[in-house]
Amino acid sequence: METIRKQTVSQGAVLFAFNSSKYNYAEMAVYAAKRINFFLSLPTTLITDEESLNTIDASVFDKTICVTPDKDNIKDNQVWINKGRYQAYESSPYEETLVLDVDYVINSDRLLKTFDMSDSFCCHNSTEFLMYSGAAQETLSSYSYNTLWATVMMFKKSHRAKQIFEALEMVQNNYDHYANIHSFVGGVYRNDYALTLAVKIVNGHSEVASDYIPWNLVHVGKNTSIYPGYPDCKILDQEVIAYNAEFTVLFDNWKNSKVRKEWMTINDMDFHVMNKDLFVGIMNG
Amino acid sequence: MDTKTLIKDAKARFSHNSAKAYLKEKYNSKLIIAEQGGLWKADAHTIALLHAFNHFQDTTVLIDTFDNPVEVEIASLLESLTTLYNNVMTEWNAEWKQLENKR
Repeated sequence: METIRKQTVSQGAVLFAFNSSKYNYAEMAVYAAKRINFFLSLPTTLITDEESLNTIDASVFDKTICVTPDKDNIKDNQVWINKGRYQAYESSPYEETLVLDVDYVINSDRLLKTFDMSDSFCCHNSTEFLMYSGAAQETLSSYSYNTLWATVMMFKKSHRAKQIFEALEMVQNNYDHYANIHSFVGGVYRNDYALTLAVKIVNGHSEVASDYIPWNLVHVGKNTSIYPGYPDCKILDQEVIAYNAEFTVLFDNWKNSKVRKEWMTINDMDFHVMNKDLFVGIMNG
Repeated sequence: MDTKTLIKDAKARFSHNSAKAYLKEKYNSKLIIAEQGGLWKADAHTIALLHAFNHFQDTTVLIDTFDNPVEVEIASLLESLTTLYNNVMTEWNAEWKQLENKR
């Protein structure tokens, strides 16, 4: 039964990428899409704007959708286009969709399991930092909810998933109001916070265990660098690309005003790179 | 610059504790499996419980990872979880042995 379902239901990944003055997010999406194709064997759809699309070779994508970006979000004195994530539901051509941040490095097939976990929606509700184990979980504010993460979301076309994405749009449109209620800084729009509120609203402010992916979202955080063993590259005279699966992690462990450098290697594990310069370094090998 | 040179130049030490935590994170997630309408972790507790029941009955009700009571066919779930447990733990053990030798 399970096998029949998998053959008939379309699955894929949706990526959002809008270039800023500092970073080419569309290029990051190309890198992410190649790894999604390889490690998850899923097609990808890119949601972007004309300007960003013109900077890349989009042949890796199954489909590209151009939208008018909402430039009404300023971070570090620069436009940061991260609004409109709610469009994933209506725009996705797939019945079962993974929505991924472009700076999330797919390095295993682990996310395929999420399709078997929920009939409607799931995302991460807990995090772990590489080489900084046991860091506190982020909350919206000191007396509000634990943050849910929009970095990885799985949804299936369903009434409930539709409700979550509609609530996400509603929270985005009234972000300052919710920031006021939950006492977080509302100046810069964050998808994670909006998603947290949207899921809580749809669930009547109660916990629904099946909304949460039962393992941690792994971050590469501050004082941490990560380097690929070798760059993803085409094998000589062949159309095959060899994908690097091993990464070296370097960590500046500060103790008593002294730093001690520590390292380890990881493989077969996905991770989210918070530092965009670091991500560009990984992309370029 | 290759990563070996990078580590050497930075005079970095291999962090056994971090590597151990990373392995735990990685392999714990690999122990999760969706079967018979529930989501299960192939851990010692679940396998031992299924094994105990397997001598007396064909089906039982177990609380899955999402706290749902799910009626399961014991022998079939026990076999899936045991196979998964053995495969994952063998891989975990092999990788742990490798890192024990690192300096």
